Amino acid sequence: MGLFSRNSVTPKNRAEHEARAAAWEQALDRQSLPPFVVDRLQNAAIGKTPWVATMSPAELLLAKSHGVKPIATVSGTCWFHYGWSWTEGHEEGWHHALNRIRREAIACGANAIVDVRMRTLRHSFGPSMDFTLIGTAIRVDGLKPSPDPIVATVPALEFVRLLEMGIVPVGIAVGARYDWLGGGYGNGWGSNAWGGRQTQWQTSAFAGNQPLTELGTFWEGVRREAHAALRANAATMGNGVLAHTHFGEILKQERDKQPPAYLGRHIVVGTVVDTPRGADVPHTIEPVIDMRDALSPLKRTGEVRHAIYDTDSSEQEGSI
Amino acid sequence: MADAHGQDIPEHALARLAGLRREGHPGGIFTSDFSVNEFLLVRKAGFEPVGLCVGSCIYHLGFQFAGWSANQEMDVLSTAMYEARALAMERMRLEAAQMGADGIVGVRLTVKRLEWDAKILEFVAIGTGVVHAKGHQGFKGPNGQPFTSALSGQDFWTLLAAGYRPLEMVMGSCVYHVARRGPLATLGSVGQNVELTNFSLALYEAREIAMERMQTEAAQAGAEGVVGADLHEGSHNWSPHVIEFFAIGTAVLPIEGHETDDIPDPKLVLSVNS
Repeated sequence: MGLFSRNSVTPKNRAEHEARAAAWEQALDRQSLPPFVVDRLQNAAIGKTPWVATMSPAELLLAKSHGVKPIATVSGTCWFHYGWSWTEGHEEGWHHALNRIRREAIACGANAIVDVRMRTLRHSFGPSMDFTLIGTAIRVDGLKPSPDPIVATVPALEFVRLLEMGIVPVGIAVGARYDWLGGGYGNGWGSNAWGGRQTQWQTSAFAGNQPLTELGTFWEGVRREAHAALRANAATMGNGVLAHTHFGEILKQERDKQPPAYLGRHIVVGTVVDTPRGADVPHTIEPVIDMRDALSPLKRTGEVRHAIYDTDSSEQEGSI
Repeated sequence: MADAHGQDIPEHALARLAGLRREGHPGGIFTSDFSVNEFLLVRKAGFEPVGLCVGSCIYHLGFQFAGWSANQEMDVLSTAMYEARALAMERMRLEAAQMGADGIVGVRLTVKRLEWDAKILEFVAIGTGVVHAKGHQGFKGPNGQPFTSALSGQDFWTLLAAGYRPLEMVMGSCVYHVARRGPLATLGSVGQNVELTNFSLALYEAREIAMERMQTEAAQAGAEGVVGADLHEGSHNWSPHVIEFFAIGTAVLPIEGHETDDIPDPKLVLSVNS
């Protein structure tokens, strides 16, 4: 190839296009990967084609010094339509995406996927959304390919540091629950058709200062169930969940000649870790004062890493 | 496998990476919204997370009338804002006690408006319950209850290194109605640079009340001091002349036997790669 030559864009002919579409469809259906994706991943794994990593040079340096080799960028996408439940659709959508990204990692003989990010497009086509995970598949020198690669949301830099300290970030856990207070449309599991009356008079025009006991108890219940689902999901992978992101809301629905109904929904997503209790932290921590201006409390600003459920940032509006 | 510093990757981590070990831990799952670095620092400080503790309170605010020209505390609203937060924190602490935690680190307090009713606010207190890894009982808060603290994992490590332990989050709230100026006063100051003393006075007074209340709580908890104290001004969709002043901080007590000489002198560094 000459220095300035370009590859021209050759659109796939109709037959090729249809063959690829059919291969995708078949792969999704059989929970496998199309042959051309397997080829790409396997060629990267044996070094026939260049490796691809989302790592920065600093991360590459640390990864290399620890015998961690990048293989390829892997992803998992599931565009999911919510039928009977928006809330539990989220849980299922992420689980599909997780299975798919793991499948790609297995195909390239990886031990782990690092720097996994949760993404979604801000398009809405009716009651549906895409659940996408993108990360870098890596191999650790001297280890055999894993039949069950771990999914780490931390970048390569932190990944290696964590391993040293006996903490393995193993996956992403999701817990989601919803319920109705009052109403009950045959789709909530604990629906209570008689609920909502107490809330109605506790919020009437003449009501004074008071905690809304019925609504509060109901809401705590939904949240607890979501957390229990998160723990149950995490228990299959490790023994702890870190770095939660959560999203919850209560919606009110007016009803004819009846007290209004309330829909509460709550989603929790976190990084699962596997670590022996009380493991040693082998580094000493030295207090330093960094003289960079950007780190001064005068200028500090927050950062949100996963841009899916942005309630943590929007809560700032009404924070405290 | 050793890195440049001679640190090895532990056996259990390698086994997991090779896919040789897959069993879960059905019994003991901890959950926490700590970042990875916070988790490490809390561990370094000698604590282990046990679970996320959440307390919430959905509260209906009562009504109070304030005169057009009156500087006054809206005590119905002050009470509501205080009671609702206290309930949320109490419920969070109850969750912590139920899971056997010694305390709660990284508590965040939020207030959310519900779209469908301006008089209803949702108060949430959320933090991570921790236990001392070696079962040391000397870190409990007042009355043997779990301690609460608004400190991040980083701040928690630093506070302990400084020889203090957190006792309890303390707070004070004051919702205040700032008087409007009368037409004559307004007319009298046209074209002049003057201080609007009644406004100054109202802000001073409201802030003072909030801080006094927080200080009273700290004294009741038996604290030596309050760290990370902050004063927030907020108007939760109220009329523009109604402002809440909210003081919050973490009450602390010295750790017995900790000497000032134990505190390492921080190094000044300047990172050159950013």
